[in-house]
Amino acid sequence: MTRLSLAIPSKGRLKEKSEAWLASAGFPVTQIGGERGYQAQIEGLGDVEMRLLSAREIAQGLVDGSLHAGVTGEDLLHDLAPTGESDFDVVKRLGFGGADVIVAVPQAWVDVDTMSDLEAAGAAFRKAHHRRLRVATKYMRLTRRFFAARSVGEYRLVESAGATEAAPTTGSADVIVDITSTGATLKANGLKILSDGLILKSEAVFAVSPGAVWSSEAKASLEVLFAGAAIKGKELLEKI
Amino acid sequence: MTYAAVVKAARSRFEASGAKPVNPAYILPSDIPLELSGEAVRARLCVFTDHRGNEMVMRPDLTLPVAGLEADRLAGGTNGPKAYCYAAEAFRLPAAAGDPMEFTQVGFERFGRDSDPVEDAEAFALVHEAVRDCGVVPVAIATGDLAIFPAFIDALGLPRVTADLLKRAFRQEGGVRALVEASPAPIEADLVPTLEAATLEEAETAFRAALAERGIPLIGTRSVPEIIAGLRARAAALAAGGVPEKVREVIGALAAVNCTAAEAADQLDAIAVKYSLSRTSSAIDRVARRMELIRELLPEVKAICRFRSGFGRRFTYYDGFLFETLGPNLSERQPIASGGRYDGLVSGLSNGKANATAIGGVVRPDRVLRAKGRGA
Repeated sequence: MTRLSLAIPSKGRLKEKSEAWLASAGFPVTQIGGERGYQAQIEGLGDVEMRLLSAREIAQGLVDGSLHAGVTGEDLLHDLAPTGESDFDVVKRLGFGGADVIVAVPQAWVDVDTMSDLEAAGAAFRKAHHRRLRVATKYMRLTRRFFAARSVGEYRLVESAGATEAAPTTGSADVIVDITSTGATLKANGLKILSDGLILKSEAVFAVSPGAVWSSEAKASLEVLFAGAAIKGKELLEKI
Repeated sequence: MTYAAVVKAARSRFEASGAKPVNPAYILPSDIPLELSGEAVRARLCVFTDHRGNEMVMRPDLTLPVAGLEADRLAGGTNGPKAYCYAAEAFRLPAAAGDPMEFTQVGFERFGRDSDPVEDAEAFALVHEAVRDCGVVPVAIATGDLAIFPAFIDALGLPRVTADLLKRAFRQEGGVRALVEASPAPIEADLVPTLEAATLEEAETAFRAALAERGIPLIGTRSVPEIIAGLRARAAALAAGGVPEKVREVIGALAAVNCTAAEAADQLDAIAVKYSLSRTSSAIDRVARRMELIRELLPEVKAICRFRSGFGRRFTYYDGFLFETLGPNLSERQPIASGGRYDGLVSGLSNGKANATAIGGVVRPDRVLRAKGRGA
């Protein structure tokens, strides 16, 4: 990987906003093979490998070093990084794709408003049911870290493939950790956010992989991108 | 000494104590460690999915599957004390760079003997002698006793729900700080009838009426009586006014205990006297008696043995005395030997069908070699 390997989300609003941000910095992206293609090219950065991927794949690539840089969600970076924030460098928060990662429980649980209430409910639940309370989420690491830091241990994680907010209604889990922007979906599903249950205020970010192999060519392209997007990245460029 | 010689030296010591050699299952359902210890242990577990989609784990230590063997034996109707030993591989995701994912533990587990200072000291001595047989002189030994914190909490006479919360929070990464600083929220007015109802039936009716009034659907697997019990517990904690200042002081004083093992009982005793917590005396006496016995058996450890009240609080199934032996050339997170008491594990593994006191210890031959300045 000698040339800069750069990725943006392949679909939806995140894609449009990412393209708009790069274009405004002077680096327009064009897709190869029309709207449905997953290959693209970017102007103004020299020879760059421009890729369109899912936000989760981009976060994974940045963490494991198979991508140099890209636009993805902070929530995904924090969740996929095995050792936390040293596995990636957020160089710019982009002001779109905002969402909170939160802990929510059924509104009917009038005895549970905080994380320590949840721990008490979890302990009582284990005594009554001989199993742990289930927490459904796509954010396995983020959840585990947050719960441990809040001294909540009486739970089991269930990996959710989608529609996490429906888990308490269907009975596959009682508690969820999910993203929300307005909280409307949660309310519609009979859920409430715990008062101290905000795990992360996330938004779309431009991030760089400290673990990738950086050639001088890749660094030069990144430097051009930094200059165009008015990012102060001198220290980072020296580090990688 | 070669690696094989180190394994043989430790193993011979444990076999000579009368323990029966075993090599239990390598693969366990992930429910065993996760239901037992919670999700916090998942970060270190080697997890995989079998062909039917069930989540399985490679054994993270030998204590868990050996205790499983013992639980099966007892549930099958056989009684009496039993001791097992092993030299076998365990699997954990690395906590620090350079830690191996697969490593050998040479150890023993003893079940059904008296849970007393004599047995604690004997198990400790057995591990120490095995380390000596491997040709290493320990540089430090860290000890603790996970029965101390619960003993102090019980002596404080808190409402049950608060005491239980504190005991569990003590064993979590975040500790008890957030809990002792929290101020309980008041109970909403529309829930007061639920709390004041004379019977559970009336309480359920009042609760359902309050939910209907708020337009809240009843979802989730917690039953109405469970939610009402939770509400009552919260009201009780509220009535008690949160965590009193005295409790905060006691917890702070306990957390500060970090001394030589010989001084530990005196320091704990001073806290008990200052705050009139005489119910802690049997737990403190046990710390004192255990250390006396250890000094009689092994006079040389006195100078290097320390006691810290929070030591081992995150070692999931231990519930009493525990220790870690540190050798030269290695970090504090890489003990060459360790051990401890886990009287509640057999009961936990068998869902209460079997019960046995238990203590065990292991030597890590790979680290022994590193302590001796050989191997990487």
